[in-house]
Amino acid sequence: MKSQSMTRRLAAVGLALAVTGAAAACSASKSSTGAGGSGSGSGGAAAGGTFTVWDPYPQFDSGSAWSRLLTKCGTQAGVTVKRTGFDTTDLTTKVLLAAQQGDSPDVLIVDNPVVSTLADAGVITDTGTTHLDTSGVAPNLLAAGQLAGKTYGVPIGANTLALYYNKAVLTTAGVDIASVKDWSSLTAALAKVHAAGKKGITFSAIGTEEGSFQFLPWFWGAGANLKQLDSSQGVAALALWTGWLKQGYAPNSVIDNTQTTSWQEFATGQYAFSENGTWQLANAKKAGFDYGIIPIPAMNGGTAAAPTGGEFVTIPVQDKTDRYSTSQKLVACLTSADNAQATDTTLSYVAATPAVQAKQVAADPDLQPWIAAVAAAKGRTSDDLGTKYPKISQPMWTAVQAALSGSASPQAALTTAQNAAAAATK
Amino acid sequence: MRTLRRPRTTWWKTGVGLVLTALMLFPVYWMVNESLTRDQDMRKTPPNWFPVHGTLDGYRAVLHQQLPYLGTSLFIGLGTVVLTVAVAAPAGYSLAKLRPRGGGLLSFALLIAQMIPGIIMAMGFYAIYLNLGLLGSVPGLIVADSTIAVPFGTLVFAAFMSGIPGELLQAAKTDGAGQLRTFWSIVMPVSRNAVVTVSLFAFLWAWSDFMFANTLDSEGGAQPITLGIYHYIGNNNQQWNAIMATAVVASVPATVLLVVAQRYVAAGVTAGAVKD
Amino acid sequence: MNSTTPLNSAAQPGARAARDTKGVPGARGAVLTAPRRGPASGPRLTSANWAGWAFLAPVAVYLVAFYAYPMYRNIELSLHHYTVRSFVHGGAPFTGLDNYRSVLSDPAFGPALIHTLVFTGVSILFQFWIGMGLAVFFTRHFRLSATLRALFLVPWLLPLIVSASTWSWMLNSDSGVVNYALHSVGIAPIDWLTSPKWSLASVIIANVWIGIPFNLVMLYSGMQAISPELYEAAELDGASAWQRFWKVTFPLLRPVAAITLLLGLVYTLKVFDIIWIMTKGGPAGSSATFATWSYQLGFGNLLPEFGPGAAVGNLLVVMALAFGLVYIRAQRKQREA
Repeated sequence: MKSQSMTRRLAAVGLALAVTGAAAACSASKSSTGAGGSGSGSGGAAAGGTFTVWDPYPQFDSGSAWSRLLTKCGTQAGVTVKRTGFDTTDLTTKVLLAAQQGDSPDVLIVDNPVVSTLADAGVITDTGTTHLDTSGVAPNLLAAGQLAGKTYGVPIGANTLALYYNKAVLTTAGVDIASVKDWSSLTAALAKVHAAGKKGITFSAIGTEEGSFQFLPWFWGAGANLKQLDSSQGVAALALWTGWLKQGYAPNSVIDNTQTTSWQEFATGQYAFSENGTWQLANAKKAGFDYGIIPIPAMNGGTAAAPTGGEFVTIPVQDKTDRYSTSQKLVACLTSADNAQATDTTLSYVAATPAVQAKQVAADPDLQPWIAAVAAAKGRTSDDLGTKYPKISQPMWTAVQAALSGSASPQAALTTAQNAAAAATK
Repeated sequence: MRTLRRPRTTWWKTGVGLVLTALMLFPVYWMVNESLTRDQDMRKTPPNWFPVHGTLDGYRAVLHQQLPYLGTSLFIGLGTVVLTVAVAAPAGYSLAKLRPRGGGLLSFALLIAQMIPGIIMAMGFYAIYLNLGLLGSVPGLIVADSTIAVPFGTLVFAAFMSGIPGELLQAAKTDGAGQLRTFWSIVMPVSRNAVVTVSLFAFLWAWSDFMFANTLDSEGGAQPITLGIYHYIGNNNQQWNAIMATAVVASVPATVLLVVAQRYVAAGVTAGAVKD
Repeated sequence: MNSTTPLNSAAQPGARAARDTKGVPGARGAVLTAPRRGPASGPRLTSANWAGWAFLAPVAVYLVAFYAYPMYRNIELSLHHYTVRSFVHGGAPFTGLDNYRSVLSDPAFGPALIHTLVFTGVSILFQFWIGMGLAVFFTRHFRLSATLRALFLVPWLLPLIVSASTWSWMLNSDSGVVNYALHSVGIAPIDWLTSPKWSLASVIIANVWIGIPFNLVMLYSGMQAISPELYEAAELDGASAWQRFWKVTFPLLRPVAAITLLLGLVYTLKVFDIIWIMTKGGPAGSSATFATWSYQLGFGNLLPEFGPGAAVGNLLVVMALAFGLVYIRAQRKQREA
């Protein structure tokens, strides 16, 4: 009696849920009422309607230069711009959800490794459809937004990684920065710093894409390739990091550090080196101590290829294709030379076109090493990896975490990662 | 009537109470500490127990930008409480006392409902609200936040209301009161405890909710203060002292509300506890 | 409390309605039991039924409107093979239980299961008993007790991102205040968040901290309904404080405690924010639970895998269901005892 009534009850619940769920789903299913909402009560400022822009810059509120730029571009294109800033980690999901419901924004600014995913999902248009002009953009920077021969957006700017160093700490330790040219000299410098009672280097090895981002310059600098994670070069790169941790040249907290908290460690003034990005320039100037920058050295000398960061401006697919011409005007306005320079200065990015880069250097010579770094940088989804990259990146950061926390040797960790990546990208 | 108070021992208990509360609230103190810390001292080894070289930058940013959000948060919190109690109390009463056919099924469904991960709920709501045009609206957010509390509230009301003596209800029925009247005049006053418990949780859940606000109100005009935190989570940099300052500023009025409510409640509970 | 909890089927007639003139919930032992009172037959049943459903109508509408669709969607996601393209444009092929099979055979499954069970079990154990202890402590009113009790709820005012981040900072290996305090009493620093040995313990500690207010409030409210006369009677009989707790408080608290435990279990199973913010389920999956794994599959990487993510989420629901059934069974046993 007990079990019978229980079974009956469960069946009834299941049936009820299924029936109501189906009914709800039918009515709530994707109804394309046209995306972006045009002319919904735009306060008379522009005749052309409202265009929505989504960007990953929630730190800019409505009074900021970025918001004002968007409004200005809107006015020039004859429309009102409604802008929303999202957390960059959330934005992909939001865009996919919105696209599913037919509610994509008109202009979408999104982090570059995500562009391949969105392109593959058919969420964003390629430049052939929207006639976006990408001629001035440096090819290595454009590569991240390209999939199967088509380009899917324009970079708004670029950033990459380099080694910041604290001049005072290096002087105390008796290290000449000019001597740091490859891995062995870097490690030797760290040893000296450690012996002098200071801390060596800090970076971010957290279990997210940020960790992969920070590991890549060393991985590529050893000559390794993302298609073969457990090559001897790959293992050498990971062994470099684990060696530093073991010897105390890098703090244990790197395993949990984001790039922000890693910078905070460097900002205490106790560290000699920090691997961080172009966007920290503004913070570096406020740090209160003398700092310098060197490109990340490759294993045997030279500059390691660092991954490109920075966002792409894209135009999502819309049902009403006549909106593309206005969206294209908005994008062109945002990425025009003067506007791009202003935006990139605010974001502390390097411009995407050599022409604007020259102007940046003229205005701020400190940017020169960064421009060189960006020129040598590589997109994460380039090398024809596209949407395979995320499936490789995740095992890679897991391997880094495993090795650094001592759960596995670098070789074992990377072999596991390679097997996982190979299985996922089959 | 409570136990006789023995003045000697109450002070000792107060002392212990203070220590326990201090232990419990230490992380909150640490949050305040961080909200006043400069960026370059955030990772200082060893850390400062007290924000020695404090900075008010975080608070300046918050007070400058976030204050209107407090009002919205309060509105949402109170709205959620009202909606939750309004929906859950009758349901709890029904499950506990009226026990209609299929009530057990509903209880079971309520239990299952709480097991759905928050992000799945948020995604579902997004689709529903988009089609209803409720995205970015405050009433929509109130309804969404109440879904956290309603199943819980129903089960709690049912649990507490089961303890209401049958005679009370019988007496009301004999006097000719209808169901609604019985519920409103007899059951509710006697369930003050449950109302307070459910209201408390509904308010707290709505006040601290981030997930629904983020998914459903990002583009809205009026936003709760939890979304205000987003201003300090940039795409590359996070301003931790401002984030913590936002939380502190958000907590102060709510704490005051809680303390006041508890005092009022304590008085009410003693007076209106279920007694013969 | 009426030992027939609402979770029992209404089709079970003759529920023993415990009734106590002091309003003690579910007092057993020295309690007058009313004559068996079940739903009467005939017209009164119908009217009671209608009234019952009228009162239930809002909640029923609620359930259908807001829970049915997400639940359905979650199940549907787990039964198809979704790529990002098919998520957006539709047309995902039905693959039956394939997602579940791949999840079950994933090497991360075993550790995640163990971590989920350990995390939930240990958290509940500590949360419940600390909450119980505090509730007992606060029951005897003293100066400031109301204010202090209110202050105990302050952790719940904070969005989880803030409280989890604060714990993260406190437990930092190098600059965290916990290690600093340990250092000052001579204990070597512990890598709370970055060592596979300690990561699970760290998130459990933070979770217990967050769970205490819930248990405190629920148990305290339950204790409020226990009449002091019972305590006085026990005291007159010579019972010590300890005995009073075990013989009077605990049995009378059983229904409230049961629902607190059940809800606590369900909520703890779902906990994800705390772990995600503190350790991201790492390092190397050493603090990964089903909740974090589900999120990681679906949203935590650059290429969402909605199918497997939903499958893991459904497994969580099944686990919680299992606990729910245990609860119902325990209630029924108690009723029949």
